[in-house]
Amino acid sequence: MSEKPTTDDTEAGASTEAGRTPAEPDFLKVSDLHAGYGQARVLQGLDFTVARGEVCAVLGPNGAGKTTTLRALCGMVRGRGSVTLNGTELLGRSPEQAARLGVAHVPEGRGTFNDLTVEENLRIGAHLHTGHWRRGRAQRAAVAADLERIYGYFPKLRDRSRQAAGSLSGGEQQMLAIGRALMLRPSLLLLDEPSLGLAPLVTRELFEIVRAVNEEERTTVVVVEQNAQLALDVAHRAHVLEAGRLVLSGPAAQIREDGQVAEVYLGVSVRAGTGG
Amino acid sequence: MSAVTEVLQQVVEGVGSGAVYASLALALVLIHRFTGIVNFAQGELAMISTYVAWQLVASGMPFWLALPVTLAVSFAGGMLIERLVIRPVQAAPELTTVIVTVGLFIFVNAMAGLIWSFTVKDFPQQFPDGGIDLAGVRVDWSTLGIIAVVAVVMGLLYLLFQHTSIGLMMRAVACNPASARLSGIRVGRVLMLGWGLAATVGAVSGVLVAPVLFLEPNMMGGVLIYAFAAATLGGFDSPVGAVVGGLLVGVAETLAGAYVDVIGADLKVGVPLVIILAVLLVRPQGLFGRAAVERA
Amino acid sequence: MSMNVATLGTDRARRLRAALTALLAVAAVVGAPFYFAPFQVFQLTMVLLYAVALAGLNLLVGFGGQISLGHGAFFAAGAYTAAVMLDRYDTGHLATLPVAAAGCFLLGLGFGVPALRLRGLYLALVTLSFAVFLPPLLKRLEPVTGGSMGLTVDKLQPPAWSGLAEDQWMYFVVLAVATVALLLARNLLRSRVGRALLAVRDNESAAEVMGVRLSLHKTLAFAWSAMFAGVAGCVYTWVIGFVSPDSFSFVLSITLLAGLVVGGLASLYGPLLGAAFVMYVPSVAQDISEAAPGVVFGLLIIAVMFVAPTGLAGLAGRVRGVITPLLTRTKPSAAVRTPESEPPSAPPAPAETAPADAEPVGAPPRTEKE
Repeated sequence: MSEKPTTDDTEAGASTEAGRTPAEPDFLKVSDLHAGYGQARVLQGLDFTVARGEVCAVLGPNGAGKTTTLRALCGMVRGRGSVTLNGTELLGRSPEQAARLGVAHVPEGRGTFNDLTVEENLRIGAHLHTGHWRRGRAQRAAVAADLERIYGYFPKLRDRSRQAAGSLSGGEQQMLAIGRALMLRPSLLLLDEPSLGLAPLVTRELFEIVRAVNEEERTTVVVVEQNAQLALDVAHRAHVLEAGRLVLSGPAAQIREDGQVAEVYLGVSVRAGTGG
Repeated sequence: MSAVTEVLQQVVEGVGSGAVYASLALALVLIHRFTGIVNFAQGELAMISTYVAWQLVASGMPFWLALPVTLAVSFAGGMLIERLVIRPVQAAPELTTVIVTVGLFIFVNAMAGLIWSFTVKDFPQQFPDGGIDLAGVRVDWSTLGIIAVVAVVMGLLYLLFQHTSIGLMMRAVACNPASARLSGIRVGRVLMLGWGLAATVGAVSGVLVAPVLFLEPNMMGGVLIYAFAAATLGGFDSPVGAVVGGLLVGVAETLAGAYVDVIGADLKVGVPLVIILAVLLVRPQGLFGRAAVERA
Repeated sequence: MSMNVATLGTDRARRLRAALTALLAVAAVVGAPFYFAPFQVFQLTMVLLYAVALAGLNLLVGFGGQISLGHGAFFAAGAYTAAVMLDRYDTGHLATLPVAAAGCFLLGLGFGVPALRLRGLYLALVTLSFAVFLPPLLKRLEPVTGGSMGLTVDKLQPPAWSGLAEDQWMYFVVLAVATVALLLARNLLRSRVGRALLAVRDNESAAEVMGVRLSLHKTLAFAWSAMFAGVAGCVYTWVIGFVSPDSFSFVLSITLLAGLVVGGLASLYGPLLGAAFVMYVPSVAQDISEAAPGVVFGLLIIAVMFVAPTGLAGLAGRVRGVITPLLTRTKPSAAVRTPESEPPSAPPAPAETAPADAEPVGAPPRTEKE
């Protein structure tokens, strides 16, 4: 019943890899990606790569196709072209298949299971690694360890573990959504507008956690953000989209420093805010 | 017999029939929670399951063996119907899905008539005659049996949903299918499971009520109306509500039939209509439902 | 330009053909009772009568997007109104029609107000419960309704001046009622109410934002629709001369809905086709077995919802849509002698640019964003 997730062996490989220099620059490889909804063609041929263990920010104005990019990666939207994760083609797969290949998508608006308790939400994330009916002692221990790991990142969730997810604040729900995604032990984490509707302080906390997760688990992250400044603080690389096309790519630091780029493409003055 | 024991007597009988309504209402609510569909064919599926049980018993199988076989057949049938009939219109507007379930209703009803004819069949009563006397109130073994069977079914469902991993997944799908998909849950299979479960729970109601009503293709038509009233009263999203609603409707029906002269035995079928209208006017989400009644 | 002349020519030809078709249709409809045997005329009368009920149901289901599983009950209410008036008060047939119509309209309002405050599903529940409840109620009200024995009343009799036989006269009366009803249904749809209904059906929340008062319009649509059923029921009494509770079991409600779905939702001809179905399928299929009509109807409903949510009427349009391009594509070879005629029609346009079909009722919602 339970499929062996393909991430198991690759994760072991990741831990041997050292330092910042990416050993697998083509871990996620997007080539000539087209996607859209019905007659609206949103993405018009995207090419980019994300190295293993990297945090990659996808930036751009509203309607540029950022969310569509993420949705194409996880199978929520059908795309043409090619998207490979560690050599495996992702396009043409359903969201559930993509999840089983190690892609964890935290959708815009969070998508928590509001009727379920916080802990149940997290346990949903664990189901790929356990049986559906009975869990052996080893599996139960593994789930418990995973839960501990998540509660380590999000101590607030531990305090509310018996509460219904629907009763959480917006920030807590976002944490829960990310926590649930991490329970999948993903090799690729997709975050869609995690800051949406949250207070600046909460958002900053959230991004710090994402940074910690990335550093400790070497999880590859693609984050879509309106708030370019925040995203660039955490990301290693950034891609800027405009009208469904890639207009700029580069190391996050470089884009952050290049005030002109930021103003032209992102409509914000980034430099002013890079204090923290 | 004092007036009080007389009323209690009626309440006991109401609970007996209410347990049957609760069971079918639970099937309706299960499917509604999973798919947002109100399955008008639920009663007919229960009816055809009952025919399966009847056929097995008639061909010599002991009842208590025929029952699990029937439930297994119903489970498989429910899954098959989800896959073949419902899945293709799952994304269509509510009107389409309702019409499809009405079509299923007509088809299943006619097929039962085609296979087993429209003549009434005697369904064997499984519980012994007689009963016990509780402070002047007589409780038949058959009433107790029905209540016990329904209670066991509810208990099993509770265990399934609250204490197994698969139950957790089913609740997740019912709550948010898109997120469930993103978590790698095979939503299609879970929906099939949901329909299978609902068909099984509904089959229990059919088998329980058959000895009382006699088996014929239109047997469940009336029960379906009561089950709708029960689900409306309890809230279409609440399994607990379905059970409580079923019992209340059963008691209300029996009391109204016994004590309201205008109603009598023949007009009892007006009780669910009144209950549905009253709930819609006073508390449209039902006793246990949430305020949001619109399909998300 | 020769092309203009050609289109003008075809235009005139088309108009001529339309006029001819209409003339032929009228001739056929008027001539039918003189050509067919009395029993067949009676069957045609019943088709027209069911068409009235289905036109009403179509207002609700096809255009309003709501569902009633109890239209047989309104049909019964209309039939009993007429029967009781004729039986007890001897009012004469014509007087029963407005009373049945108004009564069912009010009945529809009464059920619509609680049922349509929320999602349309509850209307299905309430109407289904009502349809199940009505026959025992009719049996109970024996002093008025004659109980399970029913009531026998005078059929419609042809006036002496007409020189028509009973079946012929009834045919023409029902034809007149049906014509008025179908025209009324059409005009209702073109009125403000109808446009509001369509807006509600196609996008409920948008319609609400635009200020369409949802529940009011849905309730009115339901009341109109109940009124049509009541009128059909009233005329039924005129034609049959007998009513009994068992003629109006909830099977009738289900059959009406089935007929409409098969005939075609949201189509103006759908009710006529559906009425023919309601009339002929059971009588033909019943020869095979008692269960056969149900099997046929059940399968047809599901099949129609799967492949052609617009029903038979829509299917005809779709078949035409498929065949016409095929025909025009073969035309150039046949039309070599007119070199100035249009170039071979272009291959079917790519899906992206093809004009969207008129949205069928059953089309999946388009909710994708961005």
